[in-house]
Amino acid sequence: MRVKVWGARGSVPSPGPETVRYGGNTSCVEIILSDGTELALDAGTGIRSMGLALSENDSRINILLTHLHMDHIQGLMFFAPAFNPTSEIVIWGPEAPDASLQDRIARYISAPLSPVEVRELPCHVSFNEAPHSEWRIGSATIRAASVTHRGPTLGYRITEGDVSLCYIPDHEPALGADIERDDPEWISGFELARGATVLLHDGQYTSAEYPSRVGWGHSKLSDALAFARRVDTERLVVFHHDPLHSDDFLDDLQGSAIERWAELGGEPTQLEFAAERRELAVER
Amino acid sequence: MAEEQRPVELILARSLIATLSTPGFLVDEEGILVFFNDAASVLLGVRFEEVGRMGPERWGSEFGPIDKDGRPVALEELPLTIALRQGRPSTGRYTIHSVKGVEHEIEAAAVPILTMEGTRGAMVFFWLEEEA
Repeated sequence: MRVKVWGARGSVPSPGPETVRYGGNTSCVEIILSDGTELALDAGTGIRSMGLALSENDSRINILLTHLHMDHIQGLMFFAPAFNPTSEIVIWGPEAPDASLQDRIARYISAPLSPVEVRELPCHVSFNEAPHSEWRIGSATIRAASVTHRGPTLGYRITEGDVSLCYIPDHEPALGADIERDDPEWISGFELARGATVLLHDGQYTSAEYPSRVGWGHSKLSDALAFARRVDTERLVVFHHDPLHSDDFLDDLQGSAIERWAELGGEPTQLEFAAERRELAVER
Repeated sequence: MAEEQRPVELILARSLIATLSTPGFLVDEEGILVFFNDAASVLLGVRFEEVGRMGPERWGSEFGPIDKDGRPVALEELPLTIALRQGRPSTGRYTIHSVKGVEHEIEAAAVPILTMEGTRGAMVFFWLEEEA
């Protein structure tokens, strides 16, 4: 399984000279399975660049949406395969009591927010509420689980052979819970992330920022580290960087995070902050 | 051994109940008592951590409830059972007792936890009759 980060920023696109290295595009991670199957995790603005980089042979793409906040769907309207009549796009996402996944996405891809309606997209597009049990896409097994965030929100685990990647970009497991002491059954996302080879996880806030943002659905960095250690993931990639955090700020934060990670028993080389265009091989 | 991961709705309900000063219970979809808060522990004379999760038969014998004639209230008549089985809020007035036998007249209100996968549990809150 190969991974490429196309957008690691949270909340809102943040382009500019201060965010060149970690990037300003919002959530999008490309997964290429060993059989060549293409997945996109979320469709933030990063998916625009991903779409431009795809080859014409990639005619079928599965997009796994964690939730429908703008920073996770904004790129859909600018995803080149959506305008290619030979493309087949399968969109997965959380179910909700008020409307189907297609109708909820159509609130964005419709007037007055968009000049194009879903039904006008030239590609073959379909929408599926993520099943409650595991399902197959290509050579991988996919599992989705609801996690603590504002509104219906999923985390995903993609397993191929003996490796797995867990993606929980928007997650506040410490909301009303003690990550280090509570039984695992009471920690949001625990089963989904347990023992994952690679975990991409929300680490948006510093400890100083978090108290004024409790309940917004995101983690402070120290909680992301504690969660990753508790679920015994092999590698943590901190994701969903705050729009106010510049490259230099994130460098400093990453340095202190590696120290804390080591104090918690983690291998320092197994922690990094997600950066746009970063590629990873998920393997043993 | 770790229990199965709880649905996020139950995790958040437990968090809410833990935060409140109103005595509150959380039961799972099978009616197993999986949490009560510190305010409830004052009435019951024991903390949740001391007794752990328990099924309806055990919490019935430990805490009640009993009716005005001192008889145990049938499980199917309890607000939490109605909330779980019918997916709607329910209330009732009963007597419960602490582990030391101290009785409390209470009014109980049970609220089902409805999710996209159905009813996954219920929250039950208690008010002392003199406060209700």
